[in-house]
Amino acid sequence: MIVGGQSLVTSPPVFSHDGKKLLVCTGCTVSVFSTTTGMLITELEGHTERVTSIVVVPVAGTVGTKFSDYCWTASLDGMIFYWDFSTPDLLKKVNVQLPVHSFVIPNILSASLGRSDKASQNLYAFISVEDANKEVENGKHLHGSIQIYDLTNSTRAGGVLAETHKPETLAISKSGEFVGIKKQKQLNIWRVPNKNLKSVNMKKLKLHHTRTLSCLAFHPTKCIVAAGDVSGRILIWRGFGKMRHSQDGGGKMKIDMGDRPGVRGEDDADSCSTWHWHSSEIKFLMFSSDEAYLFSGAKEGVIVVWQLDTGNKTYKPNIGSPLMYFTDSPDPSLSCVSCEDNQIHLLRMPSMDIIKSISGIKPPLILSELQGDRSRVTIGCDRSIGFVALPTKDYRIQFFSLLDGTDISHLQVIERNYDPVDETTVFISLVEVSDDGSMMSTVEEKLPEMGIGGLISLKFWIRGSHTGQYTLSTIIYEPHNNAGVSDMAFCPGRSMAVSTSYCGNFKVWVNNSSFIHSGDEIQEKGGWRCQSVSSYKEIPMTAAAFSGDGSVLAVAAETKITLWDPLNNVLVAIIGDSLGPIRQLAFVGSSEYIMSFSSGTKADLVVWNISNLSTHWSYKLLVEDICCTRSETRVAVLALLSSSDKSISTGKDGMVLVFDVENPIPVSTWFVKKAKGGRLSFINNKLGEATDGKLLLAYINGEHNYVLFDPSNVKEQEDLIPKSARRPQSYAHDENVSHGYASIYGELPSFDLTKARSSDSIPFVSSERPWETIFSGSSHALPPLSKLCSPFLESLLEKAEKQTVLSQ
Amino acid sequence: MMADEATRRVFPTEPASHLRPRSRSVKSLVSTPESSFWRTFRSSTLHPSYLHLPITSLSFSPNSSLLAAASSTSVRVFSSLSLSEYDPDFDPTLFATLPLPDLAYSPSFRCDGALIAAGCENGAVRVFDLPNDKPPKTLRRLNAHSCASRVVGFPLLDHKLRLFSAGDDALFVQWDLPTETPLFSVPGAHRDYIRAGSPSPVSPDVFVTGSYDHTVKIWDARVDSGASSVLSINHGHPVESVLFLPSGGLVATAGGNTIKIWDVIAGGKPVYSVETHNKTVTALTLAKVRDDTRLLSVSIDGYLKSFDFSRFKITHSMRYPAPLLSVAFSPTGTIRVVGTNNGAMYMGIKKKKDEFEDQVGSDDFAWSVPLPEKPTSRKNIRYFKRGQSEKPSEGDFIIKRPEKVKLKEHDRLLRKFLHKDALVSVLKTQQTTSIMAVLEELVARRKLIKCISNLDNDELKLLLSFISKKATQPWCARFLMDLAKWVLEIRAEDIRSGGPEMAVHVRNLRSMVAHEIQVQRSLQEIQGMISPLLVIAGK
Repeated sequence: MIVGGQSLVTSPPVFSHDGKKLLVCTGCTVSVFSTTTGMLITELEGHTERVTSIVVVPVAGTVGTKFSDYCWTASLDGMIFYWDFSTPDLLKKVNVQLPVHSFVIPNILSASLGRSDKASQNLYAFISVEDANKEVENGKHLHGSIQIYDLTNSTRAGGVLAETHKPETLAISKSGEFVGIKKQKQLNIWRVPNKNLKSVNMKKLKLHHTRTLSCLAFHPTKCIVAAGDVSGRILIWRGFGKMRHSQDGGGKMKIDMGDRPGVRGEDDADSCSTWHWHSSEIKFLMFSSDEAYLFSGAKEGVIVVWQLDTGNKTYKPNIGSPLMYFTDSPDPSLSCVSCEDNQIHLLRMPSMDIIKSISGIKPPLILSELQGDRSRVTIGCDRSIGFVALPTKDYRIQFFSLLDGTDISHLQVIERNYDPVDETTVFISLVEVSDDGSMMSTVEEKLPEMGIGGLISLKFWIRGSHTGQYTLSTIIYEPHNNAGVSDMAFCPGRSMAVSTSYCGNFKVWVNNSSFIHSGDEIQEKGGWRCQSVSSYKEIPMTAAAFSGDGSVLAVAAETKITLWDPLNNVLVAIIGDSLGPIRQLAFVGSSEYIMSFSSGTKADLVVWNISNLSTHWSYKLLVEDICCTRSETRVAVLALLSSSDKSISTGKDGMVLVFDVENPIPVSTWFVKKAKGGRLSFINNKLGEATDGKLLLAYINGEHNYVLFDPSNVKEQEDLIPKSARRPQSYAHDENVSHGYASIYGELPSFDLTKARSSDSIPFVSSERPWETIFSGSSHALPPLSKLCSPFLESLLEKAEKQTVLSQ
Repeated sequence: MMADEATRRVFPTEPASHLRPRSRSVKSLVSTPESSFWRTFRSSTLHPSYLHLPITSLSFSPNSSLLAAASSTSVRVFSSLSLSEYDPDFDPTLFATLPLPDLAYSPSFRCDGALIAAGCENGAVRVFDLPNDKPPKTLRRLNAHSCASRVVGFPLLDHKLRLFSAGDDALFVQWDLPTETPLFSVPGAHRDYIRAGSPSPVSPDVFVTGSYDHTVKIWDARVDSGASSVLSINHGHPVESVLFLPSGGLVATAGGNTIKIWDVIAGGKPVYSVETHNKTVTALTLAKVRDDTRLLSVSIDGYLKSFDFSRFKITHSMRYPAPLLSVAFSPTGTIRVVGTNNGAMYMGIKKKKDEFEDQVGSDDFAWSVPLPEKPTSRKNIRYFKRGQSEKPSEGDFIIKRPEKVKLKEHDRLLRKFLHKDALVSVLKTQQTTSIMAVLEELVARRKLIKCISNLDNDELKLLLSFISKKATQPWCARFLMDLAKWVLEIRAEDIRSGGPEMAVHVRNLRSMVAHEIQVQRSLQEIQGMISPLLVIAGK
């Protein structure tokens, strides 16, 4: 069983202490990616619910810790785990019992779990937990609470620090001195004492604002805190907490009310300034490691770099998706930004160029309700190779390999600039890939504004030399006049396709290449042309399917199925009435059955017999997708459970049924989550082990998480929940790429202190210091810089060499 | 997994291509070395007789000095040296006219060019000599054919006393010239007219004939096997032309609209089949293109095609205004001649020197020491510009500066979200496709209605004048009609109080609508007339 498609951007990723690895929360696991290759190294498996936050243990000393990669992870299952993620091994489990939404460990530097000496302190964590069972107080639902937890002894240390409506994300300053949360229109900040960490000792500082705050960040060294609000403003409080935190437990000092620009009421800060550029809720704020800049990001997909002293700003545009999180690494030349389209871009820092992108499966396209029933965006699926073609928000198609769990390529379908702020008015509504993957068609729709404009166009693509590479063959504007395309189907084994439309007709398209003589040259012209147009009583055509040998074309005319000879455009037969308008048709292998389902109030699933034009069996089920094999008689059905049945189990709103078409009793059944908008597909198993030509069933749920399994092996009623996972794509040890300082200046010679001391010779510095002689002289007589530069740099190099020789 | 920043292009608002169907003719033709070779020929037309009689056969003498053309009852011999300065009024190019008793066929030069033989409708085969200063003289009359002798040929090799002929009586004869007697005679060689034949380039005794009975037969005069041939190949169509390719192992046959290549040594195995002509292929010949040999074919469809039989690829094709019957290419590779069925001969004479050959020629001097470059002094402006115009050599890896996207005014404004300004700026350009593109972009951004309501009166006039001009054009009518409705609805107040200029625009709009209604009505009339016809045709 292969599971994949988890979102990479549910929580902020974290860099390892050397900046070579990136720890990303992917569902119940933590994936460790290499920052040099962007490939998956390993996964930490153990949590049973979504992992929400990670804390990497920083390295205190430099000796002997080269391979220590330790981290803490917290999950919604109420557990905090301690891992060695280089091996990966689970070292310690702490049960908090409440779902942890966020946690930070302020004194992680001074206290380390591995140390055996008694002198080290206990390890305390601030945890933000959700307590759903908490009773209502004063008409307020305070589900979230901030607590302190002793990780060393696995006990709760003291009471609740703060209570919030929903669990908040904790922020911590780099030194571990301050911990803060946003609480609606105010910030709560605690100063962490160096010892004797108890909740009673904690003093809370509040900073107020007039709008709901969305995020906050602490300055690495100074008493500066920045917060963003939902309207896109950034507030910067300088010198907060001087009075409150300085005096321990004393009474209120008199606050000097004058000369505190921008500070509200009795807030404890020197000044507060406001910057405004973003037009929507600020998603992240982050101070740069050199303390001079502040990064902010929001829905526009632009990272704004604010100069902290002046408020001047520069921009990093063209990220092309709403931003979520920004994480900096211990390596000052590397950081990463998480985007809403399930991508993490690794940035080379001062210039903010994208070095690598770690991309997961794209999230589903969410359309406004303008389209009503037609808002179903379909995704294409190539059975032979096992990849899906997903329409994305930025007018592209992502080809995603289900077997490998990797992004293959992107294809720009609509040539339009994508602006994340715009509402979706132009989108890809249908993607259909032929069975062998050699042809693809896309339908794109431009929605009209107040009845003006609007365009539907159909594009045919031909596969290029490698998978996922397609070239545009033909564009057909308004394939069915003004009406929308309801379905597309490719004829197996022939360059033929059919498109059905809501305006009551369907068209058969053929690809014929022709020679056109122009002057002295022969021009090869190929393209998809309409071969025939047909309609049945002007009834809207809703679905189409070709039989396995391509000789019969079935087109659903609302409740009836019409069978056609696609070559001669002759109506062969009509199979009568399902209960509601048919949404999808599928021929069952090479058998004489055709399957259809309809949606709406009279939803049903029907298997028709073509030979005697009658119903074979039917169910009254709300079906989301069906899928048939080309050779066998197995069919898989994804059904939605109606709301009344939901009591079966929490969160499971659908089921996957596998039938043998002769028999209405399902062969096997599984319950699944988030089935709305899900897809099923049989794909060929190419994964070396256990092949024997068996087909795998792929189930992609509404959030584009997917699972691949062999329907004959996985036990019935078993949950489709990950057990084994993807194979790592690379190993950490093949990376010998240097970072940071070493990447610029090369490896430093290993400097052995003791040896240098023992030897009598003092490191010899050449008495001739060329950089002094080079630059001496009057300035107008200096040789040009190009001549000066190389001897100067050479002189530096020589010195280093001599030193290394001497030290050895 | 790649960094996709580079692939994230900036798309300008294109003139919407769905509005106007793109013209299907492609103007820029790909220039191949082959097409540049054929372009070096200067073409001219020649009418050997003023009667419009078809030119059935063309032949060059082996040393290229003479060209023989068979049309009507004579074989005309042209001096190819003077063909280039051909003057239609005075006809000095005509070297000689060979008298024949009936329609002349298939002139053929001997390998030294001293003799010429031709066939005739009544079956006679005559051999002439071609002295330089005297009129041609009939040397031999070979009488064996009872019907038209369509195929006459001297062997290609140095065998001066032999000749072969074949004809509509299906008789194939090899003659001994001095005695006028047949050496090797096959009566009933085919079951239909023999219309094609070719001597082998490697053996003086091997011939190939092609007939209307769809077969191609190979004969060897050394093997006296009665009426049976050495090899028989079925071409599948009546054979119009056969030709040994230079190796002698391959035979090209033409019949119907296909040309086929056969491997004779392998026992008549089909090697390749070309079907690029639309009508019957009438003649084949070999041409020397630079260092390669091509097979030229002409067809009734008026095309001359050059086929590279080493790569099995059509490399060039030329169109002529009349059906083509014959083709010849001079052995020196400088003249190509095609004969049509209306008496015209189209000639191409190679005038220019080939660019390709120039390059080859210059290679001979590549080893000579190049002149030292003149050193540029610091005073010279070239000193400061040195290296700027340096051309990359072949092995260099070129790093291009990222190309700057050139954006038009309206694109720049759209990028700054100045929607109304973009609309106004594009309206001022008066380019319909750009205007439509911007309007569609505004619709996609849900800003069009807002833009219209924000236009001031002058800008509204611009928009109204555009609408009144273009709203009935079919390719943007659907969009603009709806737009016009909205503009009038939203800005009714301003239009009413807009003064006389606004009134003019509205009047234009009204007359446009009236005219369009007229057009629609007459179209409906036409539709009413046509639809019964279509119904009848459908039955």
